[in-house]
Amino acid sequence: MRIGVLWNKLAEPKNIPRLFAFSLGILLIIGLIVPMALNPDQLYVRPAPQVQVDEGLAIAPYDRGGEVLKAPGNINPQYPENAAKLGMITGYMSPISEWVSSISPYFGTSIYSSPGGLIDEILYYTRGFDTILESSILMMSFIIASWLSINYTMNRKNDEKEIKADVKKAINESQQVANEVKVSDVKARSKQLRRDN
Amino acid sequence: MVMDFVTLGGNLLGTIPLGDIVLYITPFNLFLFAVLLGFTALIAVSKPETQIEATMHYLHNTEVKVGPKEFKQRRFLSVLCGIASAGAMITGDLFNFTLFMALVGILNIGIVSAVKQTTVLNSAFNYGLIAMMCSLPLFGGAAIILAATGTLSLAVLSQMPASPMVVFGAALMLVGILGESGVAPFFASKAEMFRTAGSPFIVIIHLSSLFIIVRAVEILLLVLW
Repeated sequence: MRIGVLWNKLAEPKNIPRLFAFSLGILLIIGLIVPMALNPDQLYVRPAPQVQVDEGLAIAPYDRGGEVLKAPGNINPQYPENAAKLGMITGYMSPISEWVSSISPYFGTSIYSSPGGLIDEILYYTRGFDTILESSILMMSFIIASWLSINYTMNRKNDEKEIKADVKKAINESQQVANEVKVSDVKARSKQLRRDN
Repeated sequence: MVMDFVTLGGNLLGTIPLGDIVLYITPFNLFLFAVLLGFTALIAVSKPETQIEATMHYLHNTEVKVGPKEFKQRRFLSVLCGIASAGAMITGDLFNFTLFMALVGILNIGIVSAVKQTTVLNSAFNYGLIAMMCSLPLFGGAAIILAATGTLSLAVLSQMPASPMVVFGAALMLVGILGESGVAPFFASKAEMFRTAGSPFIVIIHLSSLFIIVRAVEILLLVLW
């Protein structure tokens, strides 16, 4: 294939997501042969999966230890000097959460544990700026979606040019179909005539 | 030699600590930040251009105008896009950078989605598909780097040697950045989005991806060297 043909294909917007998905797929397949191992020296330490569940803790897997306003929990941030009081309220639970966790062993995985039932200080304090950005991404998508649903910019029925082009296309197509039907009809008739004779 | 803030951006003028996310100010980052904020201020006070095209076979012209409602929506999203890309210029946290990048991506679609031209909307839709796919390499790359090094702070990452896993994470991030900002082979869907009226708002799409590419190069150098 000539390179000019390739460039022309690249200039078509609808081909771009396919090309991107393809190159991403290639990279991810290459990733299968890259040696991967979890560095045990991590920020925001957590126990291994299932450990807290096996211990029978009601707030598994969110238990970071600590006592509210008395002893800090185990959080291990990057810059402890930026958050001197970190971990002091990480064990806080609202009265309702307290009650649910006392009667159910599945509190940690239920809707009560978030948001507000359990305070995750990593989410709201150490990395609070990330949480702000995440919710602004969501807010922007809601703004865009509501604009689109109110103004309905993709409404092609009211686009005059679009109607004309569509109608023309439809007329052409129906004429073509009619012609084809006519031709095959004539053929069939002549066949029938020959047979009859 | 280890690449750090000083070799890449000049003397460290100061930091803005927000818990674990520390924003860094070096002359390089400050310049990018200030230029973007200045441009955003210009956008906030400017009026959009009107496109005038000669009509085929007739003697009159076709005007492509930006209506008042559309103007408000696009100005709002453009100003936010400018602020978001300015934030990406000074952030010192890998994950924070990817979040800024995702925010800029969705704002780019938003600026164009207010337009009423179907060809432009079609290419915006295709760009949206790419932006959606980009969240995998962007956040996945940052997560792989976090898993390999145990940290997301660029100051700490710049002092660490790069393992193959870090290189793969950085390559994933690079693909995400290339797709999100619409460079080289993935340009068509983003370039088609520009073919509409309302110049200053359209230009912020271009400018934000340009600046983010520059910043991404700095971040990849910090992580890899």
